[in-house]
Amino acid sequence: MRVVAIGLLVGAITAAVAVLIPWLPDQASEEADWIDFVFWFTTVICIMIFALVAAVTLYSVFKFRVRPDDDSDGPPIHGHTGLEIVWTAVPAILVTAIAVVSSVALAHNESIPDDHLTVQVTARQFVWSFKYPQYGGIESGILYLPKGRTAELRLNALDVIHSFWVPEFRQKQDAVPGMETHVAVTPTKTGRYPLVCTELCGLGHALMRTKSIVLEEAAFEKWARDRQGPSAAGSGG
Amino acid sequence: MTETAVHPSIQPAHGTPKPPPTGWRRLLAPGWLRAPWMTALFFAIGTGIVVGIRSLAGYDPVWDWVVIVTVAGLTAAPIGFLAGLGAFDYWTKYALGAPTEPEDHSSHGAYSWRDYFRVNTDHKVIGIQYVVTTVFFFLAGGLLAMIFRAELAKPGMQFLDSQTYNGTISVHASLMIFLFVIPAFAGLANYVLPLMIGAPDMAFPRLNALSYWLLPIAGFMMLGSFFWPGGAFGAGWTGYAPLSVVGTDGNVFFNMGVQWAGASSIMTALNFLVTIITMRAPGMTFWRMPLLVWANFSTSLLVVLATPFIAGSQFFVLFDRVMHTNFFNFDEGGYVLGYQHIFWFYSHPAVYIMMLPGFGIASEVISVMSRKPIFGYRLMALSLIAILILGFSVWAHHMFVSGMAPWLRVPMMITTLLIAVPTGIKVFSWLATTWEGRIHLNTPMLWALGFVSMFVIGGLSGIFLGAVPIDIHASDTYFIVAHIHYVLLGGSLFTIFAGFYYWFPKMTGRMYNERLGKIHFWGTFLAFNATFFPMHIIGLQGMPRRVSDYDPQFGNWNLVISISSFVLGASFLIFIYNMIVSWRRGPLAPDNPWRANTIEWQVSSPPPVFNFDQIPQVVGGPYEYGVPGARHAVFNGGEEHAVKPATESERPEH
Repeated sequence: MRVVAIGLLVGAITAAVAVLIPWLPDQASEEADWIDFVFWFTTVICIMIFALVAAVTLYSVFKFRVRPDDDSDGPPIHGHTGLEIVWTAVPAILVTAIAVVSSVALAHNESIPDDHLTVQVTARQFVWSFKYPQYGGIESGILYLPKGRTAELRLNALDVIHSFWVPEFRQKQDAVPGMETHVAVTPTKTGRYPLVCTELCGLGHALMRTKSIVLEEAAFEKWARDRQGPSAAGSGG
Repeated sequence: MTETAVHPSIQPAHGTPKPPPTGWRRLLAPGWLRAPWMTALFFAIGTGIVVGIRSLAGYDPVWDWVVIVTVAGLTAAPIGFLAGLGAFDYWTKYALGAPTEPEDHSSHGAYSWRDYFRVNTDHKVIGIQYVVTTVFFFLAGGLLAMIFRAELAKPGMQFLDSQTYNGTISVHASLMIFLFVIPAFAGLANYVLPLMIGAPDMAFPRLNALSYWLLPIAGFMMLGSFFWPGGAFGAGWTGYAPLSVVGTDGNVFFNMGVQWAGASSIMTALNFLVTIITMRAPGMTFWRMPLLVWANFSTSLLVVLATPFIAGSQFFVLFDRVMHTNFFNFDEGGYVLGYQHIFWFYSHPAVYIMMLPGFGIASEVISVMSRKPIFGYRLMALSLIAILILGFSVWAHHMFVSGMAPWLRVPMMITTLLIAVPTGIKVFSWLATTWEGRIHLNTPMLWALGFVSMFVIGGLSGIFLGAVPIDIHASDTYFIVAHIHYVLLGGSLFTIFAGFYYWFPKMTGRMYNERLGKIHFWGTFLAFNATFFPMHIIGLQGMPRRVSDYDPQFGNWNLVISISSFVLGASFLIFIYNMIVSWRRGPLAPDNPWRANTIEWQVSSPPPVFNFDQIPQVVGGPYEYGVPGARHAVFNGGEEHAVKPATESERPEH
């Protein structure tokens, strides 16, 4: 049917335009690369489907609309087995494809190499604190990370649930009191990125913001050495 | 509101009401004179129990106001109110072995506006009670949204403090979900479902009356939390522990409000199930039921199976606060994530509780207004059942970033994405129903088609959120806020309006103003998209949800959103004006203004008190538009031409 073809064509054009618009913030981690691929894959499929639905709806309304005093009935079509099979099977195939792509991306983003940096993240109302056990247990209120090295964040909360999120890393993980949760980040770009709490945690929730600063490997090592310094490891940042 | 026109032929059928009591005895008669003192009495008894036990046990302080408000204010006093109103009179007499009064039907039907303010057992009166009450709480919830959108219009804190902000967003969501969307569907179905299946009333009219009166209690409880010292509950409508345990004492108003609203839902759902299973008219086989009936059948199954879980989750939180149990106290072995598992085991099915009845309404409206049979009737019904079953296997998709067992993510993603298949079947079938139809683009149809297109956007953003990697980025951001509003506002609310306009002539006996209805639709439709579409963008860009303040980079979009939301709010004033004026002075409605086949349109508008003078005989499917000579139901034993008389074996037992 022509309207379906038109719908798909409009969808393809819209999807092409949509891909060019920067919906997402900058990418600053390897994980973001994978997540963005899943995002765009899903976006293209979804725009096509919406364009199809919108095209058929609008076409129907303009083509088959009658005046209020029209008393006639439409043709008594009760169904069409072939069509029903198509619109059961096609969405099933599409969502399977999305599920497969998602699973691959997830598996990749969950894998952590052996030489990773470990950061203990502690959340409490309404402060973040980051501790580096491999560097004498230094602590910081800002998350410093070296570029190109996977960091495993081990999160814990002291009072209520908080949630760690750096939009540029795309990674998010709740910090839950009474248990440890994990998330991996492999920064790919130096810079300063906002780090926010995304789980409603009380009166100061909106202000539970800090930064993540990604440094070159050498600069990170220097920062860590300076921080360890002569004045006793473990002093607050 | 005003009196509905009374059909002259429908005075009570059996017996006459007793003469009303006089003098001080009026205080003993069920009603608004007995309710206040019984409320106070039960409050006093509750307080006495708490204070008595605490002083006997030597607890300090004896006057613990949080415990007193929980036991006396939020539990005992509402029971006293219901008892005073007369909701339990018949059952109490029965249970005590006293002679029960023979049913004189004096509590049935509405002859003046006062009859809407008492325990009324007529499903049509209860339906209107539900609808008017839910619209009231919709406006209350909407006003709260206007307040916090004003606060969010620019970055920084303007005129709300954090506690008030958290309170307004939490009460807004709780009212919209528990006091508007869920009961508005229950109210519409209460009115039309017995008529649609040819039943004289619901199966349990007294239970039906009780389930309505629980609702205002829940609503005023949630609103009342604003007046409690410390402020309203502020842990969001999801009330995650431990924040809901350690946060303000206003949380007990949420914990208990949900119990009352949940009890109301469960009672109504049981009533619908028994009514649908046992009270269908002769010839009304399951495969001849209108899809609205199918939808409410599926919804009621969901409610009955799932609602006890949210009741449990809220009791755990309440007990942790007032009884110092340790369900979610992690220092004492409590399990914080346990709350989320139990909560979402209800609250994901609740999403379908809030959507399936809307699917039913859309099916009715689209078929009638397209003058065509619904496309793929059986698959439409079966896909409701598929959503019902799948709906129980997806709760953990709300918890992809919660720290739950990682292996659970991929299976839950697969079941979540699979729900797109039955949902897609429904969407494509609605579109196919309009194809080559004779489309009457009136107000109900505009809302129904608006629903299809907006719900598809909400469903597709649901695919994004179902895919674990995208959800990790988008979870707890404004993308979620956009998604739920496309589903619950563009989805549920649009179908509720489709239903309000579609059945308004039947419920009130008058026609609404078509022109105002269309202005209302276009105002809401445009302002809705301008309000919620940008939220997808700022969410992906990095704005978390439930924040009273935000990074200045989101300032421009938030200003656009706030202005649009005020237009959206204003558009509902057109609706209110249209409903009030049309109800009072609208032109009288014909019995069947839409030329629909379903049974509720074959009786007068409004219908007789006992619905049918003769029980209808169902002789065919509900949507046989365009089939020459086809009938869905006939009266008078089918003297008129019928396509296919029902055989004896098709008749359900009565």
